Amino acid sequence: MKGRLFIIGIMLLGIVLILPSAASFAKPIKVLAQFPMSGPVGSLPEFGWGFIDGMNYINAKGGVNGQAITYFVEDMRYSPTVEVANFTRYAAAEKRDEFILASGYITGGLKPLIDKVNKEERIPWLDGSYSTEVFGPGGGPSKYPYYYSLGATYGDQMRVLLNWIKEDSKGKGKVAIVYSPTEWGRDPLEVTRAHAKKIGLQIVAEEEYAYTATDATSQVTNIRKAKGDYVIYHGYSAAPTHTAIFMKTARQYLKKATLLGTHYTTGPYMILTCGKAADGMVGVSCRPQGDDLTNPMVKMSHEFADKYKRKDGIKDMFLYMEGLTYALMFHEVLTRADTAKELTREGVKKALDNLVWDYHGVFGGRGFSYKSHTIPMVRTYRCKVEKEVEQAGKKVAVGTWTPISPWINTDIELK
Amino acid sequence: MRLNEEMTDLIQTLGAGLLIGCVYGLLGLGIVIIFRASEAFNFAIGEFLVVGSFLFYIFFFDLHLPFLLALPLGLLAAGAMGAIIERLSIKPLLGRSALSMTIITLGLASVLRSSVQLIFGAHSYSFSLELPDTSLEFGSLLFPSERVWAGLLSVVTFGFILFFLFRTRWGVAIRATSESQAKAMAFGIDARFILLMVWALSSMCIAVAGVMISNFGALSFLTGIAGLRAIPVVLIGGMDSIGGALIGGLIVGLCEALVGSYIEPLGLVGFKDVAPYLLLLIVLFIRPYGLFGTVRIERV
Amino acid sequence: MLSVENLRVVYHDVISILNGVSLKAATGEISVIIGANGAGKTTLLRAISGMLDLYEGDIIEGDITVGNSSIRGLDSTDIIKRYGLTYVMEDRPVFWYLTIEENLAAAAYSRWDGAVKADMEKVFRYFPVLRNLRNQKAGYTSGGEQQMLAIGMSLMTRPKILLFDEPSLGLAPLVTEELFRIIQQLNREGLTVVLVEQNAHAALSIGHHGYVLENGRVVLDGPAVALLDNEDVREFYLGTGAKERRSYQDAKRYKRRKRWL
Repeated sequence: MKGRLFIIGIMLLGIVLILPSAASFAKPIKVLAQFPMSGPVGSLPEFGWGFIDGMNYINAKGGVNGQAITYFVEDMRYSPTVEVANFTRYAAAEKRDEFILASGYITGGLKPLIDKVNKEERIPWLDGSYSTEVFGPGGGPSKYPYYYSLGATYGDQMRVLLNWIKEDSKGKGKVAIVYSPTEWGRDPLEVTRAHAKKIGLQIVAEEEYAYTATDATSQVTNIRKAKGDYVIYHGYSAAPTHTAIFMKTARQYLKKATLLGTHYTTGPYMILTCGKAADGMVGVSCRPQGDDLTNPMVKMSHEFADKYKRKDGIKDMFLYMEGLTYALMFHEVLTRADTAKELTREGVKKALDNLVWDYHGVFGGRGFSYKSHTIPMVRTYRCKVEKEVEQAGKKVAVGTWTPISPWINTDIELK
Repeated sequence: MRLNEEMTDLIQTLGAGLLIGCVYGLLGLGIVIIFRASEAFNFAIGEFLVVGSFLFYIFFFDLHLPFLLALPLGLLAAGAMGAIIERLSIKPLLGRSALSMTIITLGLASVLRSSVQLIFGAHSYSFSLELPDTSLEFGSLLFPSERVWAGLLSVVTFGFILFFLFRTRWGVAIRATSESQAKAMAFGIDARFILLMVWALSSMCIAVAGVMISNFGALSFLTGIAGLRAIPVVLIGGMDSIGGALIGGLIVGLCEALVGSYIEPLGLVGFKDVAPYLLLLIVLFIRPYGLFGTVRIERV
Repeated sequence: MLSVENLRVVYHDVISILNGVSLKAATGEISVIIGANGAGKTTLLRAISGMLDLYEGDIIEGDITVGNSSIRGLDSTDIIKRYGLTYVMEDRPVFWYLTIEENLAAAAYSRWDGAVKADMEKVFRYFPVLRNLRNQKAGYTSGGEQQMLAIGMSLMTRPKILLFDEPSLGLAPLVTEELFRIIQQLNREGLTVVLVEQNAHAALSIGHHGYVLENGRVVLDGPAVALLDNEDVREFYLGTGAKERRSYQDAKRYKRRKRWL
């Protein structure tokens, strides 16, 4: 008898203790962000830092209407299998009404997850891929209702580049495309070929460039044989060594050619690793440059970097800014969904579809709707490498990317 | 005599192949001299390449020493590193089987690779030596300066090593010890110190090759992949043949260049990395010890 | 004076080869050690010259002294340098792929004085045949020439004590004669010699003192001439001495107890 009383007493005590905290046992908000922080595209931990710092900032300010966001960050090492595996693991482990938003960062991961994300889990998925196939004219929200891209498709980027080449060469330019043997690399090729034909430019060489390459001579000599004078490099970021190898080899062998690049090659990393070889390069980017402090989002990123003491480790502010953007974006749509009293996967999707936002001023104050599931803003820049200067005791090539075009909305303004 | 376009292409390809072949030959030499002395294959060659290049980087880019000063200092540092590594990981195995030593180099490769990442980070370092321009241009033939320097310095280094091995007393001692440690010890040659010297020399060769290769692009811990080119080089040339290392290097260089120019455009991208191994298989079928390996003096 | 006291040597920690060997090599004399195969002669020389390590052998007891200092446990390179004791290994220890001249240079490696060239000349005077072959790879020379070269190389280390391990093995009788003549000459010029030999007769003929090694022990020693006359030595090592035809039964050696003293 005494034993039984004792147990009941303990239980009651337990319930009494739990009750007050039960009030704060609101449904947790869980999100998963995956970034390529290591692997063949190079070492890019800034992604993760930006996201984590952003999340901590948001949660410190109250999170989503008072509730903190539980976030998971994974390094998918630029491998589609790893990305898919991570997502599958979390989707299986977490509850549907708690785990309501996810992001990825590789074109090659989108395809295997089409059914899982769009049909099975029905969870909104933001991606750093700008795949033409998924987000371009052949895909889009009708086919992939839960996929959202944070930029303009590569196909669009290539079209912008081709238009620039046509103008610069007065229609006579010979274009060579060097791409990585990945989904990312091959993605825009068809659109590029079609567009080149349309505007009357010749594509004289298409060279695949593997990331196990130690040497770019064969690709470059082929371009030289074909007399290409505009070389577009696509499918790698500027971080890994083989980009530098290609750029330098191209510079040596193709003395008069102009080198061009798509979104992920346009940034300070290119100058850092390639030095003088990057001088004169033309690139497109879906974001402002990381040192453009007139841009409110850039300014905010710098402030964050200072606040969270990341300054020394950041090689490319763009990456940090990107991670931060994801965090802010997550927060924005989750808050909107919660305010509409629909903090569920469907609710978040609705919030995204109806989103009209200026992304904290990233695009110079212009806001967009997310109806097309892409942010189709692109700008062309030119790289100028000044002489090497002393910076923290090291000789560092210093240069800038200066915009040579206004922001182009590829949905509306691109012909 | 006007060369038609095909001839020009061929000469361009062959020239490029020979130039890079010299660098590969130097890498092969690094392997061969260790193999002759310790009978071990240094699988950590890629990592030695990277560490040597980083040591040079410190002298040239960080400390801003002029090239003529930075290079010898960097090489000395690389040699010292090779010696330290030998003391710590190889010497304890003296007398044990060559297989043990070879396996140790595998572990060594891992340790070195991780250490490089820890110390220098995982990103790429811009690497432009900006040596005086020696590019060769004849009509539409073009051999960029970096490549010419690579071939030149590799051959010069090779020559130094040959001179050292065949015209100095230390060279004689090294060759004697490589032949028989026991006999060497019996005549007062400290075989342990000789091995140390051999590892130091090998590290220096590999460092020179590393600096040249880094100059083609950028330097990061991944640059070491190029070191594995040494495998077909020494297996084709003969694991214990010094001359074979150079010939093997040139052959691999030519093979790579020819495949890159003529076979890859047919669609087999990346084949030029595989081709030397196929060639290796063919050579081994005909000469199992490599083209110049294991020449034995037979007592009749 | 080289002295070995109660030396016990073991290979691979388990195989006991020398079981308490004691002998002395007087300065300026030729001391001869004879014995059957497997008696431990080579092991003894390796132990004295500090080469046991290479063969995974250990001295587990006993001492080796040169003069007043113990050289037990020292490295071979130290022993050569500090005590002038050089070991000429068995089977003609020359470097086959080096030329004769390079072989001599290699042997002189540990010396930093400038007299190397002069010493090479001295070697060529001892062995004129080597001078003609100086640029030949050693592996292509004949057995006798290689043995000359080996001795020449040992001379390059400026030794005071020389250990010879079966130098006449595999050599023609005339060459052997020449060889022993040279060893005698070196000894007359002041070199202490320890000569291990299978050819007991020739060795004892030029030796001053002799030791018989059997199963890792010294079983007999005495002045070389005395050994030459000893009945059992004659029978077992010199191949002579059978006084009359024995019946097969009596000839069974293992049955006959050897009286050594």
